[in-house]
Amino acid sequence: MKQFEFDTQEEFIAKLKEIVDAGVKSEFITTLTPFHVHEVDHIFKTRPSELRYFTLLGAAAGFILSFMFMVFTVMDWPIITGGKPLISIPAFIIVAFECTILFGGIVSLLGFLHLNRLPDIRRIIDPRECGNKFLIIHDMGGGK
Amino acid sequence: MEKRKNVTGEEGMKTQAFYGQVELDVIRAMKRPGVFYWIALGASILAFGGGMTLWGYQVLKGMGVAGITHPVGWGVYITNFVFWVGIAHSGTLISAVLFLFRARFRSAFNRIAEAMTVIAVMTAGLFPLIHLGRVWRFYYLLPYPNQRMLWVNFRSPLIWDVFAVSTYLTVSVIFFYVGMVPDFAAARRHFTGIRRRIYSILSLGWEGTTDQWRHYSRLYMFLAAFATPLVVSVHSVVSWDFAMSIVPGWHSTIFAPYFVAGAIFSGTAMVITLTIPMRKVLKLEKYITVDHYEKIAGVLLVTALIVSFSYIVEILMAAYSGNIFEKTVFYYRMTGDYKYFFWLMMFCNVVMPLTLFNRKLRRNIKYLFVFSLFVNIGMWLERFIIIVTSLGREYIPYSWGTYTPSLIEIGITVGSFGMFFTFFLIFSKVLPMLSISEIKEQGVGNETI
Repeated sequence: MKQFEFDTQEEFIAKLKEIVDAGVKSEFITTLTPFHVHEVDHIFKTRPSELRYFTLLGAAAGFILSFMFMVFTVMDWPIITGGKPLISIPAFIIVAFECTILFGGIVSLLGFLHLNRLPDIRRIIDPRECGNKFLIIHDMGGGK
Repeated sequence: MEKRKNVTGEEGMKTQAFYGQVELDVIRAMKRPGVFYWIALGASILAFGGGMTLWGYQVLKGMGVAGITHPVGWGVYITNFVFWVGIAHSGTLISAVLFLFRARFRSAFNRIAEAMTVIAVMTAGLFPLIHLGRVWRFYYLLPYPNQRMLWVNFRSPLIWDVFAVSTYLTVSVIFFYVGMVPDFAAARRHFTGIRRRIYSILSLGWEGTTDQWRHYSRLYMFLAAFATPLVVSVHSVVSWDFAMSIVPGWHSTIFAPYFVAGAIFSGTAMVITLTIPMRKVLKLEKYITVDHYEKIAGVLLVTALIVSFSYIVEILMAAYSGNIFEKTVFYYRMTGDYKYFFWLMMFCNVVMPLTLFNRKLRRNIKYLFVFSLFVNIGMWLERFIIIVTSLGREYIPYSWGTYTPSLIEIGITVGSFGMFFTFFLIFSKVLPMLSISEIKEQGVGNETI
């Protein structure tokens, strides 16, 4: 286990490039940064976050389930009000739209927590602090 | 928008000292409140408590203590509901919409605006309950089958409102909290004892690893992308509470965009009202600069022009329609019992914003503060006029009437401001007021650092 600390983003990126160019796989490198350094994603050539599947799933489920729910309620006790059709699609779309966002937002948050394994009790009690430094932790398990 | 270089940070100044300074400045604002703070908090709690007591009185005595009666069944309570939902809106606009447009000046305001959103939606959510005669039956609004297995009516705008407002509250809270997670991780270092423990738990064990940031950025973007159509839809739904009925002056297709623009207008003004004293008291002047105010005054100007245009369209439509009821209502608004309110509203929302074309005034903090107070008053009056004059002059002259708010209603309105400021003041000492990680990433105006 090797650890490098940097005060500035530029030095940090330079060193990270050097390590990656030397042939170390990104799985063996952890970086800790005070904010999102987008260059790290480019250097590691990571794929876009899998979070999008959670978001899509949540949003789609929200729309479909809420629409089905409303159709169920009007079929459960069919009562015509205001001369409108039982399944009033334009009116139902509004509630379905809100539920799309509601479910999409909640499932995205849960997906984020799941992907990052948060909340992490171990780290709540004893966090690895990087202060405002940029850290590269190089796990020597696989490497040069 | 034009670019001026000192709004965005320069790469060269992003050093350790800078990062540390940002943290210290923001965290310092969370410590040791001064005398002014305690006075403000005391006054707010007093108003809040007074309003709650009056509500208790109304619950005990019945709705007769409020001024709302036939024909004006919606009065100050619904005005306040629309007003507070409107205030909430610019919070989402500033944090989510400007995030999607990569407008960097948002980092000065976004946390405060998000807090304002959450608190204003809570305040707004209280008003339909206060408006209910029997508040303990509020659960009738929720979609469940009643004793006779009859469901709620999903064609009713009031049910849309329940979904819209509760979704808005939930998503705003998530957005607000997610934005703060890295800042809690920074805050835990600066405190000891119980506060350190609370911030540690709230930070969820955040460390800022590669993967955490990667998922985090995506999450934040998705939430912003959800929040943006949500802002538009929520106030559209609120406007449909009016527009779906056939009351003259309400039944209009223009209502949704008109309300959304008005909401952003009033909310942006509220952001200015809140941040100007706050940046002074908490010494955050170098993070919330005059340049930022100039930009946000631009947002105010654009939305004011949309609102003015809507007023003109509304009046012209009434005049040109040949519909006697529509014409009567607008004539009544301009010359009837509430004409002073109408013209004051016109002055606040149409005439005064034109001064913002002057760049000197856009950059004058004192002027902006006074201006934002006028806008708050003007936008409150707008909702009052829309509600009261239309209901007071419906189709049959036999059922015409006027409405005067009772002292109870006025007291509860003052109480709602007390509630808003109480929560806001507590927020300003408990949570980081500026997005620390975002400012570290972007830097601040270089004229002050």
